[in-house]
Amino acid sequence: MNLVQLALRVLRADRRTQVSTVLTALGVAVATGLVLLLVSLPFATRARAERSLWQTPDDAAGGPAEVMWSSAEDELDGRRITRVDVAPLIDPATVQLPAGIAELPAPGEVLLSPDLAALVDSRPAAQLADRFGARPAGTLGDAALRYPEQLVALVGHAPDTMPAEAMKRTALGSGHAEVDPLLSLLSGVGVVVLLVPSLVLVASASRLTAARRERRLAALRLAGATPAQVTAMVAAETGLAAAAGAVLGVAAGPLLHVLATYVAWDGGTWFAGDFALGLVPVVLVAVTIPALVVGAAVAGLRRVVNRPLTATGGHTRKPLSGIRLLFVPAAAGLFFLSLTRDGGDMLLPILVSLGILMWSPTVVGPWVTSALGGVFARVWRRPATLLAGRRLRDDPKAAYRASAGVVLAVFAGSMALTLMPSLESEAGYFSRFRDSVLYFGADPDKAGAAVAAADARLARYGLGERAVSIGEGELRAGEQYYTAMVADCAAAKRVLPGTESITCRPNPAIYLDSAVPLSGLRATGSDGPETPSVPLPEDAPVVTGHGAPNVVIVDPALWPKDVPLLGVSVAVAADGATREAARTAMLAASGGAQVISREMKLGDQDTQLADLRRVTIIGLVTASVLGGLSAAIATAGSVLDRRRTFGALLAAGTPVRTLARALRAEAALPALVATVGAGALGTAVGVGLFGLVSKSLPTFSPWLAAPVVLGTLVALLAASVCTPALKRVRAEPLAEE
Amino acid sequence: MPAATAMTICPKWWAGPLPHPVPGHNVDHTKGTSVNNTTPLLSGRGLVKRYGRQHALAGVDIDIHTGEVLAIVGPSGSGKTSLLHVLAGILRAEEGQISLAGQRIDRLSETRRSELRRTEFGFVFQQGLLVMELTAEENVALPLLLGGSSRPEAISSARDWLGRLGLAGKERRRPGELSGGEAQRVAIARAIAHRPKVIFADEPTGALDTRTGHATVGALIDSAASTGAAVIIVTHDRELAAGLPRTVSIRDGRIEPARDTAVPVA
Repeated sequence: MNLVQLALRVLRADRRTQVSTVLTALGVAVATGLVLLLVSLPFATRARAERSLWQTPDDAAGGPAEVMWSSAEDELDGRRITRVDVAPLIDPATVQLPAGIAELPAPGEVLLSPDLAALVDSRPAAQLADRFGARPAGTLGDAALRYPEQLVALVGHAPDTMPAEAMKRTALGSGHAEVDPLLSLLSGVGVVVLLVPSLVLVASASRLTAARRERRLAALRLAGATPAQVTAMVAAETGLAAAAGAVLGVAAGPLLHVLATYVAWDGGTWFAGDFALGLVPVVLVAVTIPALVVGAAVAGLRRVVNRPLTATGGHTRKPLSGIRLLFVPAAAGLFFLSLTRDGGDMLLPILVSLGILMWSPTVVGPWVTSALGGVFARVWRRPATLLAGRRLRDDPKAAYRASAGVVLAVFAGSMALTLMPSLESEAGYFSRFRDSVLYFGADPDKAGAAVAAADARLARYGLGERAVSIGEGELRAGEQYYTAMVADCAAAKRVLPGTESITCRPNPAIYLDSAVPLSGLRATGSDGPETPSVPLPEDAPVVTGHGAPNVVIVDPALWPKDVPLLGVSVAVAADGATREAARTAMLAASGGAQVISREMKLGDQDTQLADLRRVTIIGLVTASVLGGLSAAIATAGSVLDRRRTFGALLAAGTPVRTLARALRAEAALPALVATVGAGALGTAVGVGLFGLVSKSLPTFSPWLAAPVVLGTLVALLAASVCTPALKRVRAEPLAEE
Repeated sequence: MPAATAMTICPKWWAGPLPHPVPGHNVDHTKGTSVNNTTPLLSGRGLVKRYGRQHALAGVDIDIHTGEVLAIVGPSGSGKTSLLHVLAGILRAEEGQISLAGQRIDRLSETRRSELRRTEFGFVFQQGLLVMELTAEENVALPLLLGGSSRPEAISSARDWLGRLGLAGKERRRPGELSGGEAQRVAIARAIAHRPKVIFADEPTGALDTRTGHATVGALIDSAASTGAAVIIVTHDRELAAGLPRTVSIRDGRIEPARDTAVPVA
């Protein structure tokens, strides 16, 4: 019988080895499944982008134009609608069409996504169908949708009825699909955040039999087995479990994909096929993770291989070097250095240094645990404190192992809870119009006609609201610039914020915010040497004291004719029941321009923040569960490792509660200290990452303490598995293992 | 008891007087019970313990008196360790009853039995089974602390016992830094520091060479004598058992008739 066969025989015969093998396999399966899913995220976003390329084509492909194309964003009750207008420039039958679009809609026809078609059927035409001005002629297939529930319309035109902004394109669906950079970043962070607790879980599982295995291997070494033979035996033992786990992880992939499809991102959920990975990355992950696990197990054999005698009996461990303490500042320095790197690919150095930084508590934690144990071993008053303190001091690596996973979850949680409120505080959209106002940009020459068209449609829908035209110009007083809203007072009062208290003059007038100086105001055009600068009429009536800061409302009759406006908007105030019909009316008058509102812009940010919040919560819950499981397994392993000692103590009458208290203290003390440290480190990393996206100061909320509190509670909860484990020992305290 | 008598019974390593005068003590050679005018300190009657279908104990009667030293001998699997564990309340017997100072203890809850073991009994196991992370004095102090002693009291008492057992100067060492005999003496100090009524020793010499083993048992008996504790030693070492005042032989879960060698009391 060779040693590999011996390893298999041990596996068949020894129940604890079986449990350890199963847990190791499960840990590897979880790690493999999660990593495969996380690695697939950038590919999934690319798959989405490729499907929806026809909604935003570019001319990267080159060649003669086949279609005219334009795209605009619309919404219904807060749900985003993508509208694509298209007109063939060649024989429609020969236009290259993307998957999911069977044929180009003829002029006056529209193809709708299934969800949009259902909405069109269920809502009055004024609220939705009229926006397309075309007859529904079919539905778009899944292959043409970004996500299953996407609301998208492909409106057919003749070239001369296309919106003014329409562009020529070589093909519908040409161009290059981009990966979502934010999700790529999150995917990378997720790999680090979830892979490490997964591997800690595997390490905890394999430690369940470590003491017994060390004795067995040492006996084999003493019996003449060579280091290579012992290594082969361990590699066989661990490799079997790890390989089984990897296969299980790959097999569980489709299930994870199905679960992942429910997690909305960027407006919608996913198709299961989005997460499909190619063979190469799957094989790479499925080989790398078990290889890491086997490598770690073999590396852990050094003592048995080099000094088998010490492994068979007790030995005194060397104290941990204080140099370990330097690891955190070094890793933190590396991380912040990577943040300041300019140019090139920033993501990889940031992720690598973040990974090192996340690993650093695992290096420093045992030293801190040992120091903590030293303190307790000096000041103890009760047996539980004595036992815990000595254990922490004597074997800090084992003691810290129980909380390692939880500490990483706390690190990630603190990082996320620093980033999230800070990002949320950054959210917001400045609009010249009130929240309830729908508006679109118009050519100054055509704004009057657009207002008339909108009003006609509003009237047709039986709505009392009416559109107004608001010009935007620039005023200057010395070096100070102010915004001029060029509109008559009544129109301004309907759509501009802070104008409610204005009492309109019967004649054209200028309405000033009290902070704007009265004299020296000059109307200016856009920047440049030819910019005209004309003073406002000095004899114009001026009213001061409205509530829109730094805004001057100038009646169109008082705006200098030689100074062009920066832009003109057609706007209508509509909310509640009239809002969607008013939007339809505005769309009909917009000539293809996008009808927007502040709510719509804020909705985009809300969606992004909700996406971030959702993936953060999922990531943290997963990391916490993995961390908690690791802690529970490590605690059970700690009891098993010391079964004979605990058995003797229990046989001698030591209450289970005393030992349980000691074990809980062993788990909670390092967890508390390490989670506080990890919380601080995570917060610092969060501040650093926030600095990448904003120059503002980050926002801190009291919730920042939550990961530390929760982490300690999870560690305590996980440590509570020691009680049933000890009770099992108590049942037969002096039985052989 | 005259010292000369003790010298004739105890082996060479035993230099002191027999520590356990057992007044009025006689032996019923048909059982593990002694004929005695006083109430036994620890008494087992009709003890039956099974592991599956196999009888570890098949109806054992045994008495131990205050201050008595008793060796339980027998081949491997004879049931001697099971008897020790059942008497100590570590295992429950399926049948029979156990009394300590006349009080039934076999029906106590696990919590009460734990308390009993902590306060009334002391244990010495093969290889000591000390807590490897604790120093010698902390190991000895542990039962005292569990009994409610303060840290200074417990450590002081532990040092005292370690000194008596020849371990002065080694109080701060870990079990891994002690020899096998020294570690076993720490275990003895731990077993006796809280002044139990009965000390149970399960193969206390099993991991030691003969000389060290006998010296260790001598230290155990000597220490127990100073507190008046009874000592029950399970051993397969016939030579060691022969030197002890009383030996009970067990085979197939039964006490062998005429193999209870109680010391005749003058």
